[in-house]
Amino acid sequence: MSEFVDECRREWRRLGVPDPVASEMAADLTADLEEAEAEGGSPEDVLGNSAFDPRRFAAAWAAARGVTSAPTPEGPSLWRPPFAIALAVLLTVLTIGAGLALLVGRSSSSIAFVSRRIAGVPGPFRLFAPGPGRVVVPGPVGPFMARGVAGIDLHPLGLLVFMVGVVGLGLFAVWYWSPWFGPRRYHRNGGRRTPNWH
Amino acid sequence: MWCMGKAEGRRSQLLRGVLDLCLLAVMGDGPAYGYEMTKRLRARGLSIVGEGSIYPVLGRLERDGLVETHRAASNGGPPRKYYSLSPEGELALEAGVSEWQAARDAVDGALGLVNAEVMP
Repeated sequence: MSEFVDECRREWRRLGVPDPVASEMAADLTADLEEAEAEGGSPEDVLGNSAFDPRRFAAAWAAARGVTSAPTPEGPSLWRPPFAIALAVLLTVLTIGAGLALLVGRSSSSIAFVSRRIAGVPGPFRLFAPGPGRVVVPGPVGPFMARGVAGIDLHPLGLLVFMVGVVGLGLFAVWYWSPWFGPRRYHRNGGRRTPNWH
Repeated sequence: MWCMGKAEGRRSQLLRGVLDLCLLAVMGDGPAYGYEMTKRLRARGLSIVGEGSIYPVLGRLERDGLVETHRAASNGGPPRKYYSLSPEGELALEAGVSEWQAARDAVDGALGLVNAEVMP
């Protein structure tokens, strides 16, 4: 009997049911189960076939009372938290940028990635030393290049960034649409991120 | 065996559709807590064993404002949550009984027609 109530409490905690409400429901349930037992009855007399599925029973009860912050079946929330938008944009830009760089690099066998020379630092700013097969763009070439431009072989770095971007987007999607961890657990309510209990 | 399973499934579906109405009806006898309502239903010939629990239905009735609740000590036991009909609940019960009777009469008529054709 107590295992059933304990399992219900765990489910209510997982669903974000406020503690006072969960305590009230647990107390009512315990009292009813004890009364049935004292009269020689079984949990089924109180709970019907729900006696065999405490988690489902607890979720149904909490949802019926409107005290759960779990996702509702009416439809997905349109609310997107700002950090999720920023993260998605960053990962998308990284992935597309690295993918383009890899494509360009393939067509020319190597690519030079230029960066502005750091003021006050003698010599060119290098991430990787130029080596065989790497193209280094010397001198100012465009409006955003200053003196002493060095090269960087983008093949390993571009590939790494591209892979990080793809994996990151995949993990982000899994997190975002996860019913347990993602932002869809919450509902927009007056511009605030709040559970939907009444 | 197949017929028994189908019959139980149908009974469960039928009961699910009117359980809220039955709960409102037994509340008409006076305020009651959860298990007390189960016993009142049983006394009227309706057992929920094998069916779903009444608690989610009570939760929905409370959320919809069809019942009022208060806490009070039971007979020597811990304080219990008592449910009673709200004015909206009384209206809903009245309307629900009319709907049920109309539906039951229509189904009775349809089933009677089938019996007349199959069993002359």
